[in-house]
Amino acid sequence: MSARAGSPGRGDLAERVLGGPVLWLGLLGLFVFAMAPFAWVLLASFKTRTELYATPLVYLPASINAANYVDAWTSRLTPFSRFFANSLWVSSVTMVATTAISILAGYALARFRFAGRQTFLLVFLATQMFPAVLLIAPLLSQWHALGLIDTYQALIYSNFSFTVPFTVWMLVGYFESIPRELEESAMMDGCGRFGALCRVVLPLAAPGVAATAIFAFVSSWSELLFAITFTSQTEMRTLSAGLLFMVGQYEIQWGQLSAGVIISTVPVAILFTFLQRHLIRGLTAGALKG
Amino acid sequence: MAREATLAAPVARPLLSRRARELLTGYAYLLPVAVALGGTVVVPIVKAMQMSLYNHVLIKPQEYRFIGLANYVRLLRDEVFWLSLWNSFVWVFGSVSLQFAGGFAAALLLHQGFRGRAVFRTLTLLPWIIPGVVVALIWEFLYQPNYGALNDVLARLGLMTEKVAWLSNPQLAMPAVIATNVWRGVPFFAIMLLAGLQAIPEELYEAARVDGAGVLDRFRHLTLPMLRPIIVVATATRIIWTFNYADLIFVMTSGGPANATQITSTYTLMQAYSNLDFGYAATLSVVLLLIMLAFTVLYLKLTRGVEPVA
Repeated sequence: MSARAGSPGRGDLAERVLGGPVLWLGLLGLFVFAMAPFAWVLLASFKTRTELYATPLVYLPASINAANYVDAWTSRLTPFSRFFANSLWVSSVTMVATTAISILAGYALARFRFAGRQTFLLVFLATQMFPAVLLIAPLLSQWHALGLIDTYQALIYSNFSFTVPFTVWMLVGYFESIPRELEESAMMDGCGRFGALCRVVLPLAAPGVAATAIFAFVSSWSELLFAITFTSQTEMRTLSAGLLFMVGQYEIQWGQLSAGVIISTVPVAILFTFLQRHLIRGLTAGALKG
Repeated sequence: MAREATLAAPVARPLLSRRARELLTGYAYLLPVAVALGGTVVVPIVKAMQMSLYNHVLIKPQEYRFIGLANYVRLLRDEVFWLSLWNSFVWVFGSVSLQFAGGFAAALLLHQGFRGRAVFRTLTLLPWIIPGVVVALIWEFLYQPNYGALNDVLARLGLMTEKVAWLSNPQLAMPAVIATNVWRGVPFFAIMLLAGLQAIPEELYEAARVDGAGVLDRFRHLTLPMLRPIIVVATATRIIWTFNYADLIFVMTSGGPANATQITSTYTLMQAYSNLDFGYAATLSVVLLLIMLAFTVLYLKLTRGVEPVA
């Protein structure tokens, strides 16, 4: 379907219909499908209590009212400022640590030929297919035994279980695409292996490394099950856990909850917007290779 | 891995041959990742297998003891488990097939050249990047019978006369959670298939056009065969992921009403969270793992068959 829009006269009737009305209607439908739920929650986050529970439904709030955001941010029961800081810390540390150790592993798998290399690659692939629920009970008793319940470490370590296999897998592909000769000549000039990796390979692989890091950040930001299992105190909850905790409280406060939803969405949406090209290339590279 | 760790120490000794040095450096570079995954994946999986052989209910510590395969026998006789397996099938099949159809349509649309395509593409991909809990809550709000938008919109369009409680009606709950998952998953397929479409050389289309192939012929005989590898990979990954995925249903319905949306992964969670029955939860998760491994082996065989095409 390479029916490029804007070549009228050429091609058959089907092509003209597909490139014209069908294209525009389809795009409109796609846009409404993807955006309408966001619009609904964004509008709701600005509504007053009366507007939220009015019959018939009120779609547009009378004014842009930030009260729900202030309430959610400063609430004592569900302090989103604290949740936000927790999420930011856990996701950032997970991102940095995951990226650092995955660079070493990815580089080794891309460059060295050693016994067990294939096995390692297969393990990284298979680990991505493990259900998270499998790890919940054993990890809980493990963190309990180590006295790590209600600590950031428990969440960060647990996050490795899903970030590392994927980032290593992605980085192997990136490093393999960089020509060996470059680092070999650097090593002749007296650089060690590690020096060549840092000075030659990493700058070239920067977009891939960035995409990998963003992936680790975004998936940690979204993580729910570990966050609700390994923390029990309100001050230790991440945004995902905090949102769920808010639902569990008495009656659902849709106004505050909508504000919380928007607060949780904005950072990842911004990251995604800036880095989507690299992220998408990284995600699809493996699949395209076949 | 511990043994390789001690071996890796004498890396710098120049007596070793270049080959041996490479080997040891390789292991040394892999060590941090091996420790990280050993502690958070390998040990826990072994521990889960061990837990599944015990009667291990947190609130009844006095009954903790080795019971062999009794948990597995219980599983085979557990009607809810078999129901959850069927629900998982409906959930996976419904979600993935609709995500694929929607994602394919979206990819074809986004592949066309039009002004503002980059911005448009970013916006339509957003549902995929936001946290699962957020997706679940947005849709729970939309489905809310009295203050949610869905009932209101349907009523205004004249498609509905009575308010529907989407998530507490046993017939509607599963379609409702699947619809939510479709919203979330369409962008994934759109991204993958769009990348596939962009990788098809334009010359092939030109040649087909010269040969007089119409747009539908080109789609059937050129686009589809060229996309086959990526379709297989994307679909298989998605099937596995959806089968394992518990967040959406856990937040929206907790598997209810009356287990209507109870898939195997949420059933496992409920055993751990509600019943605090860690032994049985571990048993369920081990079975879940076995099903996934079987599927993965099948998938690897399948993709190996695809490679020559790519």
